[in-house]
Amino acid sequence: MEAAQLHNSTEEKKGELFLYLSDFISRKRAFRIFLMASLILWCLGFSFDSLFHGTVAAGITYPFLKKIFHIVCHQLDEKTFNVNGAKLFVCARCTGIYLGALIASLASLFYIKKISLNIKLLYISMIPMLIDVGATTFKIYSYSKPLAFATGLFFGSVVFVYILTAIENNFTGNSY
Amino acid sequence: MNQNKFLPPLVCGFGAAVLTIVPGIKSFSCCMIVPLAGVLSIYLDHKINKTSLPIGIKSAIWFGFMTGIFATLFTTSLDVLLTYLARTNDFVQALPQTEAIVRHYKLNGMLDQTMSMLKQMSVDITTNGFSAFYTAGILFSNFIINTIFGTLGGILGMTFINKRTKVKI
Repeated sequence: MEAAQLHNSTEEKKGELFLYLSDFISRKRAFRIFLMASLILWCLGFSFDSLFHGTVAAGITYPFLKKIFHIVCHQLDEKTFNVNGAKLFVCARCTGIYLGALIASLASLFYIKKISLNIKLLYISMIPMLIDVGATTFKIYSYSKPLAFATGLFFGSVVFVYILTAIENNFTGNSY
Repeated sequence: MNQNKFLPPLVCGFGAAVLTIVPGIKSFSCCMIVPLAGVLSIYLDHKINKTSLPIGIKSAIWFGFMTGIFATLFTTSLDVLLTYLARTNDFVQALPQTEAIVRHYKLNGMLDQTMSMLKQMSVDITTNGFSAFYTAGILFSNFIINTIFGTLGGILGMTFINKRTKVKI
C-alpha cells in the first residue's frame, strides 16, 4: 500500500517536473536557447586554441579558425588577449562584443517577458565604443585592452537585446 | 526582376568588400563593416521606394542576407584578383608563423598532412597566383560569416528605420 502511494507521488512529481519543463522551454525560450547555443559555439570557436591549448584538435584547427575569424577581425597581436598561453582569434573589443551578447542571451532565458527598449539606449551603448575607437585611432591615448573589452561588452549586450527584440516582436506580430 | 530589390545590396555589398580589403580600415572597423552595409542597404531601399510603410522582418532579412552574399562575391573576387596580381597574400605571408605555432602541438603525422595541404596552397599561389582549394575555402567562410553578419545588420537597420519613422511594427 505504502509502496503504491510512494510510486504515485513519484509519478506526480515527474508530471509536475515535466509540466514545469515544458512551460520553461516554450517556443520563445527555445528560440533564445538556440541563439545562446549559437553564441556559445561562436565564442568557443574564437577561444578554441586557448581553451584546448596543446591538444591535437587545437593544432589541426588552428590555421582554419585563424583564417575564418580573420574575416571578422584584424587579429592584431597587441590588441588581442592572451589566454592560457595562446592568443584568442579576435581582438579585445570583439571578444567583449561577443561575450556581451552571450551574457545577454543567457540572461534572456530567465526574463521571458516582452522587452521594450528605447532606441536611445542603443546609441548610448555605441558612444563609449566610438569614443574609444576614435581616441585610440587619433592617438589621444594608447589602446587599452580592458577598456576596449568593457566598451565592447556593453555594446554587445545591448545590441543582442535589440536584435532579439526585433526578431521576436516581428515574428509574433507584437509592437514595441 | 525588380532591380530595386537587388541594387542596394549590390552597392552596399561592393562597398563592404572594398572596405574589407583596404589596409588599415579593418584595424578599427573590425566586424562592423558587413553589418553596417546591411543597415545601409535597407536604408537605401527605404529611400528609393519613398515608402512610409514599416519594414517587415522578412525584407530586413532579405536585404541583409543579399548584402552578405554580394559582399562575399566581391570580397572573394577582389582577394583572388589581388592574389593573382601579387602572387602572394596574407595567407602565404603568415604561413611560416602558422607553421611555427602548429609545430608546438607535436601532432606528428597529422601535422605533416595539415602543413603539406597548406604548403601546397601556398606554392600554388606563389607559382600560379591561384589556388582552387584556397579560393573555395575563403568563398565558403566568407559566405557563412558575411551572410550572418549581413542579416544581423539588416535586422538592426529595420529597427532603426521603423523607430525613426515612428511606425509601430
